[in-house]
Amino acid sequence: MQRLYVVCVGALASAILFAWLLPATTAAQNPAPAGSKETANAWTPSRTPWGDPDLQGVWRYEATMPLERPQALAGKATLTDEEVARRDALEKEQEAKRLAGVEGVDVGRQPLSQSPIRGNEYNSFWQDQGRPRKVYNRTALIVEPPDGRLPFTPDAQKAEARSAARYGVGPYESYLDPDTGERCLTDGVTALMWQGPNGGHNRIVQSPGYVTILHEEYRDRRIIPVDGRPHGSIRQWFGDAVARWDGNTLVIDTINFADKTHYEWANIWTRPSETLHLMERFTRTDADTIEYEITVEDPTTFSKPWKAVIPITKLPGKTEIYEYACHEGNYAMANLLSGARAERGGR
Amino acid sequence: MQPMPMRMKLAVVLTGAGLLCGAASAAAHHAFAAEFDAKKPLRLQGTVARMEWINPHTWIHLDVKKADGKVERWMIEGGPPNALYRRGFTKDSLPVGAQIIVEGFRAKDGSMRGNGRDITFADGRKLFLGSSGTGAPNERPNTPAR
Repeated sequence: MQRLYVVCVGALASAILFAWLLPATTAAQNPAPAGSKETANAWTPSRTPWGDPDLQGVWRYEATMPLERPQALAGKATLTDEEVARRDALEKEQEAKRLAGVEGVDVGRQPLSQSPIRGNEYNSFWQDQGRPRKVYNRTALIVEPPDGRLPFTPDAQKAEARSAARYGVGPYESYLDPDTGERCLTDGVTALMWQGPNGGHNRIVQSPGYVTILHEEYRDRRIIPVDGRPHGSIRQWFGDAVARWDGNTLVIDTINFADKTHYEWANIWTRPSETLHLMERFTRTDADTIEYEITVEDPTTFSKPWKAVIPITKLPGKTEIYEYACHEGNYAMANLLSGARAERGGR
Repeated sequence: MQPMPMRMKLAVVLTGAGLLCGAASAAAHHAFAAEFDAKKPLRLQGTVARMEWINPHTWIHLDVKKADGKVERWMIEGGPPNALYRRGFTKDSLPVGAQIIVEGFRAKDGSMRGNGRDITFADGRKLFLGSSGTGAPNERPNTPAR
């Protein structure tokens, strides 16, 4: 599902920005370098009783930057203040219209009879959109390579295209065919850190020698040793993670991912290869922000390493995460298989 | 520089396309097209028989009286319980016996299941009055992709 999220958020950003930039494309170019860090290490975090930097709390990604830079913004790493203000004004105007019950393409909500089959507009009525979003001027989460795009190998690009083409369409011959989110399994090792509403609540808990990350959606949890031990030898879906402190930054090094590349699921994290090497850096840059940086190397999937810098936000102290128990009510699995059979004319 | 009306028109169209895509995809647990049929829009008015507070989606069981007086039991997919709770939605929000109007799409297999794209009380009141939990000051339905 991350793939679709990326594509669609990119479409949103490119649509809005392309429209703004039409009148003065050249003048709007901003020379700010891609990948420049904004606030890293500008703040000293409190410490746990045993002396580690304190990352604890419930965190969520609350910005709108897409993972990849939209094609319409090629070469433009950041927006000007004026462009950000214009985007905000347009979004607020549309939001007001939607709250007033206006439908139509200009507010992003089609009448029932015209809703697109491949979108999930149907679900937006229910979603927890959370708090007012954080505003950043970057146009992509990816900061390396400088073009802000995933550097897929040619074969991996083809696999992505196949995955995109079958999302929501099938074929659904078996329970193995829906993606891992639809199967109530996982959205993958990093995706849950920064996906938007309906997920993305993560509690970080520290104890001497361990950091634990509890993801609400799918009840995923990572229990990561921070005690200097070397990697083990067991391959797992989420890999084998060990961590260390680099100043105030938690550095998690993960290898030994299990090979899931034979699946055509929708998300690069849910079908890792054995050559994936993931480095994650968690740096608390102020009381309410962790700069979450991921560096991904995988010659099976990517022609070169890439890096993304993702701001995640601390939610108010009263915020809890809840159980998810996804299989309990996953009627969707039976329904989509039944729907596929009905489409084929069988039962 | 292009004239403003042209630019605004394009902005509106393109942004609308982006919003549709974004609002749609940011958080869906599953793909709409796999389960429901966009060519089968639904409009039901009925009485809530019960609500299943289960993940990954709630399901509302709805009794719908047909023209001939017979009652059909429908199942309507709703939002995730955790998200609903954070928006201030409790078990008292949609009690048994409540009269509601559902607009959505029917299941592909033709069974009496559908999704609830929009739900209002039959007297016109909106289902969501506000948001809470995470500190949101306002209800923000259909917000652009986050």
